[in-house]
Amino acid sequence: MPLITVNSIIKEYETAHALRGVSMEVKKGEWVNIMGASGSGKSTLLNIIGGLDSATSGDVIIDSVNIEKLSEDELAVFRREKIGIIFQQAHLIPYLTAVENVMIAQYFHSMADESEAKEALQRVGLGQRLSHRPSQLSGGEQQRICIARALINSPELLLADEPTGNLDRENTKMILELLKKLHSEDHFTIVLVTHDHFVSTHGDRILTMEDGHIIRDEPVNDLRS
Amino acid sequence: MLLNIIGRSFLNQKKSMALMTASIAVGTALVASLITVSLDVAAKVSKELRSFGANILVEPKVEGLADISGHKRYLRSEDIAKLKAIFWRHNIVGIAPFLKSDAVLSAGGKEGGVTLAGAWYEKEIPLPGEAGNFTAGIKTVYSWWEIKGRWPQGKDEIIAGVSAATQYSISPGDSILLDGRRVTVSGTLETGGPEDGWMFMDLAPLQEVKGLDGKVSRVLVSALTTPMDDFAYKDPESMSISEYEKWYCTGYVTSIAKQAEEVFEGSSARPIWQVAATEGKVLEKISLLIYLLCASALAASAIGVSTTMIMSLLRRVEEIALMKALGADRWRIITLFLAEGILIGIAGGLFGYLFSIGVSEYIGLKVFDSGLQQRAVLLPIAIGSAIVISAAGTVLPIRRALSIRPGIILKGAR
Repeated sequence: MPLITVNSIIKEYETAHALRGVSMEVKKGEWVNIMGASGSGKSTLLNIIGGLDSATSGDVIIDSVNIEKLSEDELAVFRREKIGIIFQQAHLIPYLTAVENVMIAQYFHSMADESEAKEALQRVGLGQRLSHRPSQLSGGEQQRICIARALINSPELLLADEPTGNLDRENTKMILELLKKLHSEDHFTIVLVTHDHFVSTHGDRILTMEDGHIIRDEPVNDLRS
Repeated sequence: MLLNIIGRSFLNQKKSMALMTASIAVGTALVASLITVSLDVAAKVSKELRSFGANILVEPKVEGLADISGHKRYLRSEDIAKLKAIFWRHNIVGIAPFLKSDAVLSAGGKEGGVTLAGAWYEKEIPLPGEAGNFTAGIKTVYSWWEIKGRWPQGKDEIIAGVSAATQYSISPGDSILLDGRRVTVSGTLETGGPEDGWMFMDLAPLQEVKGLDGKVSRVLVSALTTPMDDFAYKDPESMSISEYEKWYCTGYVTSIAKQAEEVFEGSSARPIWQVAATEGKVLEKISLLIYLLCASALAASAIGVSTTMIMSLLRRVEEIALMKALGADRWRIITLFLAEGILIGIAGGLFGYLFSIGVSEYIGLKVFDSGLQQRAVLLPIAIGSAIVISAAGTVLPIRRALSIRPGIILKGAR
């Protein structure tokens, strides 16, 4: 049974159609990359799957729950229970330290636990940077805090929107290796949006979008070969 | 964690927080000052209005056909001091007894009838049952009466009302005959009232001349009173015992008049309504003005807080969007903003209260020439109202925060 089922999603804005009847499925434990040019609708699709935006019509069923039917507060609860999100920009709170930026996700989920937050930062290689503020960290380090924050509540689904979009190649490799390691250890499902071919060669499957449609669905191995 | 977020957030936006705290402090200071003024204004204004003259008139009680028969009744002079022994004795600030009689005046070759009033000008009277004296007489009730010349200094000196003086061509220093007795006019009096046609002399010699020792025909009383309200206008006869006690122990002009009546044997005391009613209206209007100013100050502060908080929200829109993306429901967002607002309210209320002490003292000295009583009970009221202002100021920012769509904000489009 798939973890995510997207049925005929349409997303219309006042002046444009972002998604024109998208359907897809993602199995539990699968790593799916969504590729496409700017404006193809990939980030909109990810936002709708993450409950950060709503579809004009269609259904998004995650773990047997149709999130399009949930109220705003129910969606907030669903997000904190089931989903971890990594953004293109790390979006860290500037006046909190690295460990506090991780703890804030725990606070909204249940209860902040500093030792768990420190452990999560150690897993992403930031054990020595716990009390640093975001402004004292590099872009790669900030993105690793973002990953630790996304995974601190052990979500079933990790959504990543251009997680390496602002990083150089070296930091990009580091982040991807980290995601691979955590994915293989914890077996959570990943849906990652990227326009970078190198990034898309990681994971299990690639969906290619164009003008609000999924035009290709292929395994990563095929692309590699 | 919430306190940690709020604490760091405060430190991160010191200017905004200081501005909001100052906005609330100013509003609260104004409100606390006005409350201080309003609590004292009745007593202060009532005191100021005492220059209007007496507000209670005590006269002999007329029973049956006594007046028609020509049998005149009098009050006893010895009862005057008892006014300083009633429940509201400390509110009695002026007492002026009069003995009215008719006399024949001969001056400047003219002769005619005139009203002669015996009065105390300024007399020290022992306080009943306690050490010390109090001052009674015309000067304590009608401080605004103008004398051309000087007040009499002996039983052979009198004051002439300005109309009588004109009619008989009398000037200060003139010697005249009153009922065949030679007296000197020490001054002329102008009040704008019927007293302008009277002649005034010291009470005791007139009582002696008229054979009315220890008697007066009326006593005018000036008392500090509580403004009349609906309850005050109730007929005491129809009141229950508890209502009567409440009425009796409140400083209404009617209840003080009742107590005055009780100490003068055979008397009838009533408020002089044109004075008492004016006082009530003035106080009512001042109170209304204060309430409106309080409401305006509170509204201005709330708008100040709201505006500053919205500016702060615009800077923190990404932060709020992130919190929502991480799973913060509407209550978490509301709690965050409300908690910030409440903390700002507490700080603003505290500063506002301290500031209000100086402001109300200044108002008291400038307007009433004396300080106002500072009340510690205003501190929780100031903090409470500051919290209300602050919370009201967060309503709009909270609505804005709840409408933030995290997907769009965090992607970079605003």
